[in-house]
Amino acid sequence: MLELRPILSALWRHKVSALLIALQLGLTLAIVSNALVVISERTERISRPTGVAENEIVTFNFMAIPKDYDMYDAFRQDLDMIRALPGVASATISNHVPLSGSGSASGFYTEPNKETGAMGSNYYTVDEHFVDALGMKLIAGRGFYPEEIMQIDPSSNDRPKVSVVTQKFADDLFPESDGNVLGKSFFLGGDDHPIEIVGIVERNLGPWPNSSIAGRGAFYPAITDRWFYYIVRAEPGQRDEVLKLVEEKLAERDGNRVINANTMEEEKAQYFAGDNTMIKVLSGVIVLLTFIVALGIVGLTVFWITQRQKQIGVRRALGATRTAISRYFLLENLMIAATGIALGTAAAQIFNGFLVREFDQPALPVSVTVFCALGLLAVSLAAALVPALRAANISPAMATRSV
Amino acid sequence: MLKMQNIRKSYRSDTIETHALRDFSLEVKEGEFVSVTGPSGSGKTTFLNIAGLLETPTGGQYLLDGQEVGGLSDRDRSHLRNEKIGFIFQGFNLIPDLNLFDNIDVPLRYRGFNAKERRRRIEKSLEQVGLAARAKHLPAQLSGGQQQRVAIARALAGEPRFLLADEPTGNLDSLMARQVMELLEFVNEWGTTIIMVTHDPDLARRAHRNIQIVDGQVSDLRQVAQHKQSAIA
Amino acid sequence: MFGYYVSLALRSLRRTPVLSALMVAAIAVGVGAAMTTLTLNYMMSRNALAEKDSVLYAVQLDGWDPHEAADNPSEMPWQLTYQDSVNLLRSDIPSKQVAMHRWGGPISLENSDVRPFNADSRVTSRDFFALFDVPFLFGGTWSEEADQSPIHQLVLTSETNDKLFGGENSVGRTVNFNGVPFTVVGVTEHWQPSPKVHDLNNGHFNKSAEVFLPFGLHRAFEIYPWGNTNGWKSEEITSYEDRLNSDMVWLQYWVQLDSPKQVEAYRDFLTGYIREQKEQGRFPRPLKIGLSKPSEWLLLNEVVDGDDRMLNWLSLAFLLVCLVNAVALLLAKFLRKAPEAGVRRALGASRNAVFSQHLVESACVGLLGGLAGILLTLAGLSLIRQLQMGYMDRVASMDWTMMLAAIGLAVLSSLLAGFYPAWRISRTNPSIYLKTQ
Repeated sequence: MLELRPILSALWRHKVSALLIALQLGLTLAIVSNALVVISERTERISRPTGVAENEIVTFNFMAIPKDYDMYDAFRQDLDMIRALPGVASATISNHVPLSGSGSASGFYTEPNKETGAMGSNYYTVDEHFVDALGMKLIAGRGFYPEEIMQIDPSSNDRPKVSVVTQKFADDLFPESDGNVLGKSFFLGGDDHPIEIVGIVERNLGPWPNSSIAGRGAFYPAITDRWFYYIVRAEPGQRDEVLKLVEEKLAERDGNRVINANTMEEEKAQYFAGDNTMIKVLSGVIVLLTFIVALGIVGLTVFWITQRQKQIGVRRALGATRTAISRYFLLENLMIAATGIALGTAAAQIFNGFLVREFDQPALPVSVTVFCALGLLAVSLAAALVPALRAANISPAMATRSV
Repeated sequence: MLKMQNIRKSYRSDTIETHALRDFSLEVKEGEFVSVTGPSGSGKTTFLNIAGLLETPTGGQYLLDGQEVGGLSDRDRSHLRNEKIGFIFQGFNLIPDLNLFDNIDVPLRYRGFNAKERRRRIEKSLEQVGLAARAKHLPAQLSGGQQQRVAIARALAGEPRFLLADEPTGNLDSLMARQVMELLEFVNEWGTTIIMVTHDPDLARRAHRNIQIVDGQVSDLRQVAQHKQSAIA
Repeated sequence: MFGYYVSLALRSLRRTPVLSALMVAAIAVGVGAAMTTLTLNYMMSRNALAEKDSVLYAVQLDGWDPHEAADNPSEMPWQLTYQDSVNLLRSDIPSKQVAMHRWGGPISLENSDVRPFNADSRVTSRDFFALFDVPFLFGGTWSEEADQSPIHQLVLTSETNDKLFGGENSVGRTVNFNGVPFTVVGVTEHWQPSPKVHDLNNGHFNKSAEVFLPFGLHRAFEIYPWGNTNGWKSEEITSYEDRLNSDMVWLQYWVQLDSPKQVEAYRDFLTGYIREQKEQGRFPRPLKIGLSKPSEWLLLNEVVDGDDRMLNWLSLAFLLVCLVNAVALLLAKFLRKAPEAGVRRALGASRNAVFSQHLVESACVGLLGGLAGILLTLAGLSLIRQLQMGYMDRVASMDWTMMLAAIGLAVLSSLLAGFYPAWRISRTNPSIYLKTQ
């Protein structure tokens, strides 16, 4: 026994208020569903596997105070010392730190002496401990031998003979070889010096995980004194102790330098700070907006009920049950919410079109809209529930009261 | 003072047009106390609303104090209402949030008096209705009769020429009703013209003149005995 | 009458505290969200060089890859090569000009308790301070000679001077930079443009330099810049000298041109320069130069990025929802007071008077909402600062303009929100409320 007709005619008398609520729900649906897509895309970005032991790694870098400082000698001594420290699982030296937002990239070719059509990729110069120190997984071939490690002056033209690459690098540069790239060589632009692939690591997102070349990486057996970081992997759970200990010991071994220390977790957080901000802000928007709309619905339902107190009393006096009164207001709310959601579904698509076009955001799948619509419907009903139950408590005596 | 000629008022809903007043003509002289009676739905209230410039007639002519009010803007009508007309309602219609002082202040504010003048008038009119001591009370703290006296004080504070009363004693017991009625007669003796809608025949008889509205028209005019002025056709 | 309306409004708000609080909260949250992003965008698009916007120009030369344009909106490399910078510096057309880049190194004092620290520095030609209007606290810029040959002079910022010398006049004193003694020739006042329009590489809102060094030091220190270095071709580089003569870009270049005639002359000069270089096989792309005013430079570099602009739209949509909410609640509140409005009409209030009274009430809600909105904005900005981990510290803060704007936005919003409800109640036929209740 649905009393739709009387509800409709009552709603018609309050059409502006009802429409305003529907409008609010519609706009909220448009915003919330789009915010949710953006949130899920950003969350996915941040939680992608990075290929490295990001939670166990600490990095160090120093600047020597005296002008003519023997950097290579310092590297050797520092690394020997670090590797012997308790809690240290492995350590390497690299020109850049993955996930840090600072790195080197270049163009790579399958043939010598080419100038166009390069594949862009990150590259690192590292010593023989890099696979273990970064916590990567070697899936084919080998790492570097100690005797392969060269000292490269950035102003020299020295080129390595061998390289370890990521799976993605291999697949993208040699798409037809089905992953069998060991022994194949690649070239740098305008150069005929072949660099042979001797090993493949499963994954390394690189210094810029949000860039188009993320995941491609080439490692060279080399050390340079212009850009360098010690990358130290601690035994599980000992990262913070290792950070402190290594920093202390480095200063102790040679006080003539300024030392910077960092955890990779912190660097990653810095890199993703923008995405993280988006996630938090948009989540806040969703919560606040839903809250505001719920408050609006509560406010208006309460108002309508106060306005119709006498009418409710009369209905009760004429035999309407409490349930019937509550149901009346819930049905009324349901009809408004349905209108709002219909409006909102369209608005969500329009808003999404705008975001895709102007800001390159992901498209809005129907499932997300439906999910948000159901959520909002539930919120709307819940918001109307308390006033509707209160309405059921209005005494039939209200009918006889004159003022 | 008030002259209505061939006033018509009809309300239109989706399908039906109802005529509240048809060819309604009436003249009230300065200083008169006229009572208006008639069955419910006869158009008494519509007449009062039109007389009080709350509604505009669909047709006909209405002269208030010699001035044609038909073509006036809302602003001018409001001004006239504020200056010349006082209202008294069955339900008192005091503003519940405002204390007595502030309630009486309302029409004076719209008149644009300064603070000193407003205070003088408020105190004087509260004095007149015998509630000077309760200026700071809220309406809800008063009895019905007291509330109606405040409403009268509010209507009088602007010193209107004209008082429109809609069932002023309808919500009061007989003792209080008598007091309110005496107050109105007193006010009338001081020169304020009064039109009072009522369906209490005893009260209606106490006016100078009684008119009856039936079906939107003046149906019967009777000269009230003690009134000295001549009747109007 | 206005004062009367205000007192009526406050009375009315007090009468329904819950509904009033809901309305104020709706406006406050909307304004808070909108102002947080508007403030961010406002601060991010500030132009620290606005006063010289008509005379300063960032210089770009298109010496990029013949096969594809540089991958940015200007389709030219943002920066210049060292050799081009040195060649341009020889021109006497600009009133002032600067070639520069970011660098850094450890700084220390002999016989001092001050712990050595890494100082972010700027290697630049000597016009820097005059061109960018950086005022000096003590001393001044270095000699002209220091831009040509390695002369160990430097300029400290007041912050660095405070750290090293406790704020004393340190002109003439010696500090060690990169292991070599330098003489302090000047100390600048605090100078921290944000966004740092003069060099938009490596984060638009990061701190600017702590130490300034002359342009003549490159060879002596084999300086590798701390900023971005980009190249497009493989070059045979076997020495630092090769690097300086390479086609890699890593320097920012600014000129001050005071008159249109000067601009014209400089354009001709640059065109001539590229033609000359083309004869030597450089600049393989179609001839193209860029002279951008600071305001244009900020836009070109997309300092306010897509996410920021998206948040802007989103927060305006948010404000819209809050407004619709406020309209609904105001309408409910005003309609509840319809009998009172009817009485007022009977007592001589015109429709306009009733309308104004209710609009004033809406504005009061807006004012309260605006004040609460400022608090929410401050909270929002501090959240952003926290989430951005220090990067936004100089941007995510509110000045007086934005506080006033917040109140203005709130009042405007609530006037808009109150317009329909106030109009509706002022048009209601009073007589229906005057009959028995």
